[in-house]
Amino acid sequence: MVYLHTGYMITPLGEGVAANLKAVQDGETRLCMHTDVHGERLVEPVMASLLDEERYKIDGFSLFESLCIHAINGAKASATVNLQDERCVFILSSTKGDIWVSMAESAKKISSWFGNPNQPIVVSTACTSGVSAQLTAWRLLEDGLYSSAVVVGCDVQSEFIVSGFQSFHALSNAMCAPFDKGRDGLNAGEAAACMILSSRPSAAGWTLLGGSIHNDANHISGPSRTAEGSLRCLNDALERVPVSDLAVISVHGTGTIYNDEMESLALHRAGVDNVPVTALKGNYGHTMGAAGLLETLLTLYALEQGIVLPTKGYHQQGTTWPVAVSNQVRHTTQAAFIKLLSGFGGVNAAVAWTKQKTWQSVAEITIEAPADLTSLYRQTVGNYPKFFKMDLMSKLGFMGVECLLGKVREQEPSFTLDTEQAALIVASRSASLKNDTDYQCTIRDKENYFPSPSLFVYTLPNIVAGEIAIRHHLMGETACYVLPEEQALEPVIHSFVSTTKAHQLLVAWVECETAEKYNAHIRLLIKK
Amino acid sequence: MEDLKLELKRQIIDVLNLEDLQPSDIDDAAPLFGEGLGLDSIDALELIMIMDKQYGIKFQNKEESKAALASIDTMAAYIQEYRTK
Repeated sequence: MVYLHTGYMITPLGEGVAANLKAVQDGETRLCMHTDVHGERLVEPVMASLLDEERYKIDGFSLFESLCIHAINGAKASATVNLQDERCVFILSSTKGDIWVSMAESAKKISSWFGNPNQPIVVSTACTSGVSAQLTAWRLLEDGLYSSAVVVGCDVQSEFIVSGFQSFHALSNAMCAPFDKGRDGLNAGEAAACMILSSRPSAAGWTLLGGSIHNDANHISGPSRTAEGSLRCLNDALERVPVSDLAVISVHGTGTIYNDEMESLALHRAGVDNVPVTALKGNYGHTMGAAGLLETLLTLYALEQGIVLPTKGYHQQGTTWPVAVSNQVRHTTQAAFIKLLSGFGGVNAAVAWTKQKTWQSVAEITIEAPADLTSLYRQTVGNYPKFFKMDLMSKLGFMGVECLLGKVREQEPSFTLDTEQAALIVASRSASLKNDTDYQCTIRDKENYFPSPSLFVYTLPNIVAGEIAIRHHLMGETACYVLPEEQALEPVIHSFVSTTKAHQLLVAWVECETAEKYNAHIRLLIKK
Repeated sequence: MEDLKLELKRQIIDVLNLEDLQPSDIDDAAPLFGEGLGLDSIDALELIMIMDKQYGIKFQNKEESKAALASIDTMAAYIQEYRTK
């Protein structure tokens, strides 16, 4: 599994997640007409969102390299990942970097700044670079070659880039309007964004589920008229995350006629027309090598607040197939999304992300000595004579679960345990010590040697789980742990989240030290 | 014979923890396993132990014990014939 540890971005709207999230929610942009870019006079002015060179330039480094360093520094500040570790890899996402300098050299300067001992990897797949770079990191971590990755994306605008896009008639002189009827092109943008990924779980639990890259095999600059590549990427992503879990699909949404039309068809063909869609280029323009990282991070951190970000510039359906896009903030309870991009070279890429579910306590009860389990049984069950054959530990666990389910059904009368999938964990400190003593008594006296099978069976500490499973027909996992204290169960429970199909978990701490000293703490947890 | 049957019933209730049963609830001729008292295989092992511990009877094979432990009637008859204590 690959987890997001931290994310950071530097954009004309601000530095860091909080400033950018607020600005996007408020519909802000720094897009405006520029007659020059970083001191270069343009023949034709451009609508662009540009960064302040003075603010970020580090001596001895280009603006591009400096921005990458600032973005990594921002992400590093709150990360527990050691960037100097030999198991940490640097991945740079850029379409053109510094143009006249090899991006490999820039990447080496950047990784060396942070003392990283490994060869950095530059991913340069045009506008999909930021998603492709995530996939490269995902593969390296899943493969176990590295245990953490610093993925940074950046591009800096210049006369070189702007003039090229102008020659393609891809730019709009108005603020771009993704998916809108009046859209007529994209805007140039600048940003640097960084995510630090690790195979070690993070507290927030955002997981990169992977994704795929597909080529249209159609045209080196134009989007496919049939959306072949994007469709395949979406379909692959949907295999990793169920559509019912999706809060949003964060699309490319450049604001060109052809890109947005192509994406609307891809969404339609993939059958996800109804999933909310967000496109952020109305706020930032097209930030190229940074886009995949910037837009992934903002989509993700917005979901952390239960929000789907608005699409600035959208007013009226402007694609053949309707897209569930909105210029307003929408609220969601889901926490999974797909990030989709397309680019020159016919390339398309998508990644799926989800916030890992956690166990949430629905109900709990405790039973402590000298509680009379037999009276409790007679009051609440009464028709399960097998109860009397059980050892104390089983009686305690059995009655604990009975009382717990009774309590749950007071709130929710129709509640049932999923007999195929519900899991049961029992744990204790003393395990079967009391039963072991009882059984030993039946074999101690060689003159009166009558080993009892019914005592012997209860000398296994997991028999209580079997008794509970029989009572409730539970055919899922039943686990048993012996631990110094109940608290030690927590990592076990946590590790159960992503590695089991179970969505209901009974946790029974059933401790029987002696016939007089016993206690049980039974919980019902639901995966949410 | 009737005393022996009553004694058997008391022992079964006690050893097998048939908490809510009285000796009078157990029909002499009814099967002990399956639909009768609903005893299971671990109970059968405990009955084999009672036969050994209380009456000195060791079964030679499974068929023999199965026939002997079918009901209170068969247990009592078997004990009367083969008991060694």
